[in-house]
Amino acid sequence: MIKFDKVTKIYKGDFKALEDINLEILPGEFVSIVGKSGAGKSTFLKLIYAEEMPTSGQVFFDEKPIDGIKKRLIHEHRKKIGTVFQDFKLLPQKTAFENVAYALEVSGAPNEEILEDVPQILDIVGLGNKMEKFPRQLSGGEQQRVAFARALIHKPKIIIADEPTGNLDPISSWEIVQLMMKINEIGTTIILASHNKNAIDKINKRVIVVENGKIIGDYSTGKYKLD
Amino acid sequence: MLLTFKRTLKEALRNFFRNGLMSFAALGIMTFSLYLIGMLVFLSLAGNLIFKNLEEKANISVYFKPDVEEEAILKVQKEIEENNQVLSAIYISKEQALADFRADNADEPIILESLEEIGENPLLASLTIQAKDPNQFPAIYETINQSAWSENLSRINYEKNKDLIDKIVSSVKTAKKTGFILGAIFCFISILIIFNAVRLTIYNQKQEIEIMRLVGASNVYIRLPYLFEGVFYALGGAIAALLLIILTVKIADPYFSDKILGQGLNNFFWQNLLNIFYFQLLLGIILGILSSLIAIRKYLKI
Repeated sequence: MIKFDKVTKIYKGDFKALEDINLEILPGEFVSIVGKSGAGKSTFLKLIYAEEMPTSGQVFFDEKPIDGIKKRLIHEHRKKIGTVFQDFKLLPQKTAFENVAYALEVSGAPNEEILEDVPQILDIVGLGNKMEKFPRQLSGGEQQRVAFARALIHKPKIIIADEPTGNLDPISSWEIVQLMMKINEIGTTIILASHNKNAIDKINKRVIVVENGKIIGDYSTGKYKLD
Repeated sequence: MLLTFKRTLKEALRNFFRNGLMSFAALGIMTFSLYLIGMLVFLSLAGNLIFKNLEEKANISVYFKPDVEEEAILKVQKEIEENNQVLSAIYISKEQALADFRADNADEPIILESLEEIGENPLLASLTIQAKDPNQFPAIYETINQSAWSENLSRINYEKNKDLIDKIVSSVKTAKKTGFILGAIFCFISILIIFNAVRLTIYNQKQEIEIMRLVGASNVYIRLPYLFEGVFYALGGAIAALLLIILTVKIADPYFSDKILGQGLNNFFWQNLLNIFYFQLLLGIILGILSSLIAIRKYLKI
């Protein structure tokens, strides 16, 4: 589903974020990427959702190279990928419902579809009764669920989560981890970048360890192997 | 496509009202620029009409000495009319001239009384010559001056009109030039301020733009609201400027003699209202879209 072929990413100012990465992620996998801050985790994810392009090498999505996508069609690529972040990235002046609906609106979905799909997806993440609440009226865990609902609304093949539990208390974190496992069970590929040792140990799926822009470990049923 | 249009338009309207003060400033300067340019267009239309009217009125009047026989004058008239630079040469007899003079001064009893006192007709017979092109007056003037019958002439009044025409031509030119420079300066300021307003909106919405991209909004969808914002400034500015011009013309109308234009200023303005408005609207939209585009290119990285 995703393949990195000799990928190197060098940012302006000669900062080498990733170096010679070779990797394959299969459909339906749950992959955790671990590593210290600045190890290259976020860059790795950005290359997948085409926020950054590799300096050399190629990233393939469904066998097709991402750098071959025309600029005006990149949004079509991003619709196949759901993204979730540490800081939720919700629009503060929109309700939970509107935040999720927004993702459908911007891609031109008809109103009927929005009215049908949004409550359904909010139900799945367990917020069916809080659709009309604004982000400030929701707890961190609930806000992150809204973000997951928004990521799922396009029925993506893959969810990319960059430190989704980074701002959450242990209980909320655990709920989010459970949610991710549930999403993975219905067949969605998940790539999770995280520092959360507890969470990764409980997930007990493939773990990739990144350090200084290089993969230094790839374990098929891994525990958190850093420190 | 229609859905995208509707949704982005809504987005733009929201941006417009949310940035109250900046929108107001941008709208104000747009109004002012379009007002200035609209006035300029209107004045140059009026100037052209005045110029045309004056050209039609411009003529050379040739006055004959009192003792010249009518027959001789008619002969000269024929000769002048044969000149292919001349449009017409109209004979005005002494009697006709007197009748015209009386009619022109019907309200001035003193003048008429003094005319009675003189007893005889003091006016001269004349030919009023119009040229096909006002530029040919000097040549016609020369021809008359050098003709065999020029000694029959009492006077030729040409210089007087010439000065007036030249003055009008040059003041219309100066007005156009000044207006053009001022207009250009204000267009430039408009672009700067609208550019800044759109830049501010983009800056305020960094987060929203980022989210839009992440959830798969197309580039068109992200950019359109900012273009619409520019068009709003144009629409609002054009309408406000037109209202201001209508007001200006209404105030100026009484101070403006109908004789110069051949009709009332207000009247003339309403005949040209739509043309002026279309011009303002077009220019405004070009300015608005141009400044939005510059801001989008510079600050909206997609």
